[in-house]
Amino acid sequence: MAERNHLSTDGRWIRLYDHFRREWQIYLMLLPTIIWFIVFLYKPMYGLQIAFKDYSIFRGVAGSPWIGFAHFQTLFTNDQFIRAVTNTIQISALNLIFGFPAPIILALMFNEIMHATYKRTAQTIVYLPHFISSVIIAGIVITAFSPSAGIVNTVLGWFGIDPVYFLTKPEWFRPIFVGTGIWQEAGFGSIVFLAAIAGVSPSLYESAVVDGANRWQMMWKITIPSILPTILIMLIIRIGNIMEVSFELVMLLYQPATYETADVVNTWVYRQGLQSGQYDLAAAAGLFNALVAFTLVMTANTLSRRYARTSLW
Amino acid sequence: MLVFIQVDSMAAVLGMTASAKGDWEYMTGVSLQGLVKAYGAIEVVHGIDLTVREKEFVVLVGPSGCGKSTTLRMIAGLEEITAGDLTIDGRRVNRVAPKDRDVAMVFQNYALYPHLNVADNMAFGLRIRKMPKDEIKTTIADVADILGLTDYLDRRPADLSGGQRQRVAMGRAIVRHPKVFLFDEPLSNLDAKLRTQMRAEIKRLHNRLGVTSVYVTHDQVEAMTLADRIVVMNDGNIEQIGTPMELFNDPANVFVAGFLGSPPMNQLQGILTQTGVTVGTTDIKLTGATSAYAGRDVIVGIRPEHVTLIAGAQTSALPILLDLVEPLGSEALLHARHGADEMVFKADTNGNIDHLSAVSEVHVPADLVKLFDAQTGQALSLGG
Repeated sequence: MAERNHLSTDGRWIRLYDHFRREWQIYLMLLPTIIWFIVFLYKPMYGLQIAFKDYSIFRGVAGSPWIGFAHFQTLFTNDQFIRAVTNTIQISALNLIFGFPAPIILALMFNEIMHATYKRTAQTIVYLPHFISSVIIAGIVITAFSPSAGIVNTVLGWFGIDPVYFLTKPEWFRPIFVGTGIWQEAGFGSIVFLAAIAGVSPSLYESAVVDGANRWQMMWKITIPSILPTILIMLIIRIGNIMEVSFELVMLLYQPATYETADVVNTWVYRQGLQSGQYDLAAAAGLFNALVAFTLVMTANTLSRRYARTSLW
Repeated sequence: MLVFIQVDSMAAVLGMTASAKGDWEYMTGVSLQGLVKAYGAIEVVHGIDLTVREKEFVVLVGPSGCGKSTTLRMIAGLEEITAGDLTIDGRRVNRVAPKDRDVAMVFQNYALYPHLNVADNMAFGLRIRKMPKDEIKTTIADVADILGLTDYLDRRPADLSGGQRQRVAMGRAIVRHPKVFLFDEPLSNLDAKLRTQMRAEIKRLHNRLGVTSVYVTHDQVEAMTLADRIVVMNDGNIEQIGTPMELFNDPANVFVAGFLGSPPMNQLQGILTQTGVTVGTTDIKLTGATSAYAGRDVIVGIRPEHVTLIAGAQTSALPILLDLVEPLGSEALLHARHGADEMVFKADTNGNIDHLSAVSEVHVPADLVKLFDAQTGQALSLGG
C-alpha cells in the first residue's frame, strides 16, 4: 500500500514536470501573479507578528519585544474601535441587503430587454460609473448633495423643503454611501450574472413556454434557480469581504461630523497606524479584521456546500 | 406502350383523391397548408403541405438544414409562421400561444430543469396550469409507473443516466395529456444501444397512448422503424410522403432513394435501350417496355440488398471491381466500382467472408431496378 502511495506521488511529480515542460509558456504567464501574491500578500504576513509586539521602527520587526495580546485588549476596550467595527458591520449588512441583489436584479432586467441596441445602450450606461475614479464619484456625490447648488436640494426646494446638509449628518452617511456603491458597481457586477444567464439552455425556456409559463414564471422558476450557484459563489466572496468596506470612498465622503456612523475599521486603522504611528495596534486591528472575514467565508462556504451543493472550494 | 409518370405530386404519391383529402382534414390531428418560414429575406421552409391524421405517428426526416426542426417548432409555436395555415384539431393556431395549442414537446437535449427532481420536472407544466396537488401527484405516479421512473422521482437530472433523462422528458410531455406530441430528435444524444431501446419504448408508448405525434430525426433508421408515415424533407421542401415501405420501394426521386436505406440506393448513369438499360458497357434487362424511349438518359437505382451473387432467370450480370469487403456478421458490405461509379452491395456471409473477396460480378433482378429521369431526378415508371 505504502509502495503504491509512493508510486502515485512520484507519478504526480512526473506528470507535473511533463506538464511544465509542455506548457511552460502558461507557467511563465502565471509568474507575475505569483510574484504579486508573494510580495503583496504573503510577505506582509511576516509583519503581522507586530500585532503581538511592542513595535518600534528603530528596533524592527524581529527586534521588537513580544507583548502577547496586549494590543487586542487595548482594541476591545477602545470605544472608537468598537464603534468602527459596529459601523463596518452595519454598512456591510446594508451593502449585502441592498447592494448584493442590485446587480442580480439588473441582470434579470437586461435579460428581459429584447431590443438589442436598447439593451447595449442601457448596459453601457450602467457599466460606466465603474470606470470612473472613486475621487470623481465622490466629487459627483458631494456636488449632488451640496446644500447650495446640489440637484437633490434643488429638487427638495421645489417642494418647499429647506436645504439639508446631507454629508454632515451622521444619519444620512450610510444611505448615501450604500447608494453610491450600488450606483458605481451594480452595473459592472451584473456582468457575472448576465454571463450565468447566458449559460442557461434556451431549450429550458422553450420547454417552459410550451408548458405554459409566462415571462415572470420563467424568471422565478428557471432563470433564478439556474443562476443560483453563481449567486451563492458571489455571496460567499462578498461575505469574505464583509469587513472590507470601500476604504477610498469612506475616506472621500466622511468627515469628523459623521465619524459616528462613517468611521470603519479600515479608516480607523489608517488613522491609528499611519497618522498616529501606532503600527502595532493597527496591525492587531487588521489581523482581527482578517480573522473575522476568514471565519465568515469559511462558514458561508460550508453552509452553501451542505445545503445548496455549491461552494467556492 | 411505354408511359413515364413523373412522381412530383404528393397527392399522386399517396394516390389521394380530393374527397379523400377532405375526409383526412375532417379528422385531422395537425394540418399544414402552404406553411412558409422566412428569416428576413431568407426563406427556409417553402410552403409545405402536410396532414397528420389523428393518432398517427409521422416522422419528418431529412439532412441537417432541411427545415424539419423549423417546421416542428412552427407547430409548437416556438417559431412564428411567415405564411400559410396551421391547424390543430381543426382550429387555426397560427397566432395561438404555444401553451394554448395543447401540444407537448420533447427536446433533443431533454430540456430538464437541473434544479428540480424528476417529480418536480414532470409536475412543472401541471403546476403552471394550476392543477390540484392531489391530481398532480396521481398523474405523476401513473406516468412514472408507465415509464419505469417510480424509483427515481426524488433524483435530480444530473443523477440520472441518458436513457432515464429521456424518459423523464417524455414523462413531462405525457403528464400533460396533450392532443399532439412533438419530438425534436429526442434520441440523438443517446448511444447506439440505448437509442435502439428507447426507439422501441417510444413505439410501444405511442401504441399504448395513441396520441398524434410528429417526430423529427435525421436518422433514417429511426424514421423507418417508428413512423406510420414518413415525410422526407430537403432544402425546405417536402420530397415525398408515404409509409416507410412505400418510400423504400417507390422513392419519388433520387434524393429520397439516396436518403432512405442503409446503405443507400446505388445510383448509376445509364441509357435506356430497346430491352433495358445500358450502364457503362453493361446491358441490364428491365421488365417494362423501353423501346419507344431508347436513347434517353436515366439514373439507374439499385438497392444494395437487391443484388445476388448467383444468376437467376430474370437477372443481368453487372461486372464489378471489388474494392473492400466489410463483414457485419450475418452479412457483409461489398464496396465496388463499375466504371467510374462507386457502389455498395450487401451479401450473405453464411459465417464466412472468404468467398466474397473473389466476387467479380453481381446479378441485378430486372423487376427491382428503379429508374429516375437524369435531368429532373424524378422517378420514372415503366408502363406496358
